Amino acid sequence: MEIPIHVLVFYLVALVVVGSACIVAFSRNIVHSAFSLLGTFGGVAALYVFLGADFVAAVQVLIYVGGILVLILFAVMLTHRISDIDITNRTVGRIPGLVAGAVFLGILVYAIAGTDWAKAREVAFEPTTAAIGNLFLGEYLLPFQIAAVVLLVALIGAITLSRKEIKE
Amino acid sequence: MSDAYLPILLIFGVSALNAVFMVALSHILNPRRPTPQKAMPYESGMIPLGDTRARFSVKFYLVAISFIVFDLEAVFLIPWAVEMRALGWSGFVAASIFVAVLTAGLVYEWKKGGLDWD
Amino acid sequence: MDLGNVASLSLFYPEIVLAGTILVLTILDLVVANKRAMAYLGLAGCLVALGATVDLYGTEPTLLFHRMVALDNFSLFFKVVTLAALVGAIWMSIGSGEVRQVHLGEYYIVLLTCGFGMFFMASANNLLMAYLGLELVSLTSYILTGMLPHNRRSAEAALKYLIYGGVASGTMIYGMSWVFGMAGSLDYATINAAMAEGGGNQIALFMAFVFILAGFGYKMAFAPFHMWSPDVYQGAPTPFTGFLSVASNAAGVAILIRFFYPAVSTLGQEGAWAFQALPALQWTDLLVALSIITMTWGNLSALNQRNVKRLLAYSGIAHAGYIMMGLVVLNNDGLNAMLFYVVVYLIMNLGAFLVVMIVANATGREDMDAYRGLAWRGAAFPAVCMMVFLASLTGLPPMAGFIGKLLLVAAIIEGQFYVLAVVAMINTVVSLYYYWRIVKTMFLDEPAPEDGPVAATASAMPLLGALMVLTIVLGVYWAPLLDYTTGSLGFFMP
Repeated sequence: MEIPIHVLVFYLVALVVVGSACIVAFSRNIVHSAFSLLGTFGGVAALYVFLGADFVAAVQVLIYVGGILVLILFAVMLTHRISDIDITNRTVGRIPGLVAGAVFLGILVYAIAGTDWAKAREVAFEPTTAAIGNLFLGEYLLPFQIAAVVLLVALIGAITLSRKEIKE
Repeated sequence: MSDAYLPILLIFGVSALNAVFMVALSHILNPRRPTPQKAMPYESGMIPLGDTRARFSVKFYLVAISFIVFDLEAVFLIPWAVEMRALGWSGFVAASIFVAVLTAGLVYEWKKGGLDWD
Repeated sequence: MDLGNVASLSLFYPEIVLAGTILVLTILDLVVANKRAMAYLGLAGCLVALGATVDLYGTEPTLLFHRMVALDNFSLFFKVVTLAALVGAIWMSIGSGEVRQVHLGEYYIVLLTCGFGMFFMASANNLLMAYLGLELVSLTSYILTGMLPHNRRSAEAALKYLIYGGVASGTMIYGMSWVFGMAGSLDYATINAAMAEGGGNQIALFMAFVFILAGFGYKMAFAPFHMWSPDVYQGAPTPFTGFLSVASNAAGVAILIRFFYPAVSTLGQEGAWAFQALPALQWTDLLVALSIITMTWGNLSALNQRNVKRLLAYSGIAHAGYIMMGLVVLNNDGLNAMLFYVVVYLIMNLGAFLVVMIVANATGREDMDAYRGLAWRGAAFPAVCMMVFLASLTGLPPMAGFIGKLLLVAAIIEGQFYVLAVVAMINTVVSLYYYWRIVKTMFLDEPAPEDGPVAATASAMPLLGALMVLTIVLGVYWAPLLDYTTGSLGFFMP
């Protein structure tokens, strides 16, 4: 049986994403968790490439890996004695949590497999940036401008909350 | 699967293999003779004083968040830039409004001292 | 009627005015030294936006900006409610001691942006716009919760809110992606058409809607997504807590109705909404169960509270449960009752928080003991007003809250949800205990020697008086409000 190379690569990428996500969730060392996010974000960028979304894949690497991951690493590395905190959840315990997770996974897989998802036309590997540009300034103009407002308020909030308040 | 992406996959694979190979090889070939002086944290030859875990300034976070916000602005402008000629003046006005809102944010950050390092 | 980008601008004046006010305040904050002027400017901006909104009544229902937002009586109603809440919150903030500690410029800018986001939550016709509106409101809420400087409780509340909100948002957008996958579009009308054809596995549909309900329900503080609510209400500055409790609840109701009705209902005969059949999974049962859990959990948790703001938070959760009862019925009566209750809740809850703010200003404390003998400590008027608001929250005649609850229960009983009605009645009786414990503390307890006199700020008194009068007047003569809400039920369904 010949397995096409792209299926093999897809499963490899999926392994990277899920494996990194498992390390993020289960690792006892928060620095390991933060670094494993790199695998997750990079893997998701590869998945975008599989779907033919070249612009989104590039943006994913630029923003998530280049910005957000760096921010998370700043937070982890610069927080005083962050390794001293014990990350556990004693309320429910491991076994009930694992069972609940497995049941949930089963339901989700059943739902996904049984649905007739609305497929667009076949994935075409053509550059999408121009199409996105047309949409941004055409149909999706309002979300484009509201995104500007969201960014503005995020900036103002960051300035407000990180200000050094002088205690009188 | 488009052939245009095959080089990326190849680069990824080769660099991953390369990195793993180098680290693994140096780990295996390493003669293990640790001394106390070799185990101390490196500080350009000086003897380290005190705990490395000092409290870092919150300015780092502000720089990182500002970077993300303005990086996102650039990313939003890229699709417009690609199609700029076809979109004409109306596209220009819309993109100007976008940039104006974020410029207001930049001026705000500047005047509030967010760009100072002290 | 679908309008393109440029043509929509003429119908978009309320948002443009509000956005303009925000940008003007941003510039002014850098130039002007007297920050108190910013509050008045914000107030003026809100009033102009209110005028622009009222001016839009009479235009035919339209979809603006390539079907992104809808302009109809429903969205205008919620814009009016949001602006009223903003005006109330700014007025409260002017007199608040807590707010004086924060950087006033940023406080008002972020508060107005929160209201701006609520406009989009209420009028969104597309899942992307709904998500953006929700995120804008959430982001501004996190910032405003954590704004008090050197206050551990405030910072902790903001952190809890952020983490909880992030998880809820992620869940919601996952559900939205499933809906997109099944329907092929983010537009509500297209989703409705796709669902009507019977697209999608029933389990998948159910899971997707549960995920989306998780996101919307977190905003409204339904159980079991309400865990953030007590901490945030307690930690945030009181004027913002008042605003959050009423406006974010209202916006949550709007976005919930706007999404669920076009998606799970079809317009039946005589203009009444009919339940679209999803035979495998009973929607009403889910909503009924959720409503019962929310009401009961909120009321039972409020019984032991010593801190008045936390108590009002749990009471807010219970009220979200009451409002959800209107959603269960899925017809015009239920919707009408929900909208009426939203307005009444705005008036009475804002009033209750105003009294809390007055007491906190004078004594610096928010726990029940600070209210001992309030009526005899120079704050007779606030104490009487608090009694009126608490009576209204319980649902006693002749207050407006009674009419609101009556409408909701009447809609339920007509829809034959008898169990729900009985549970609602029992919960009302339970809530009587903790609301009236505050009244008893205010009037019947002797003030201890260390409790000082409580003077109400001059700016708070007119607002307090107006809210109290409205509560009583609406309890006796509610017909105009009912006509207004009935008129607001027309929302755009192409």
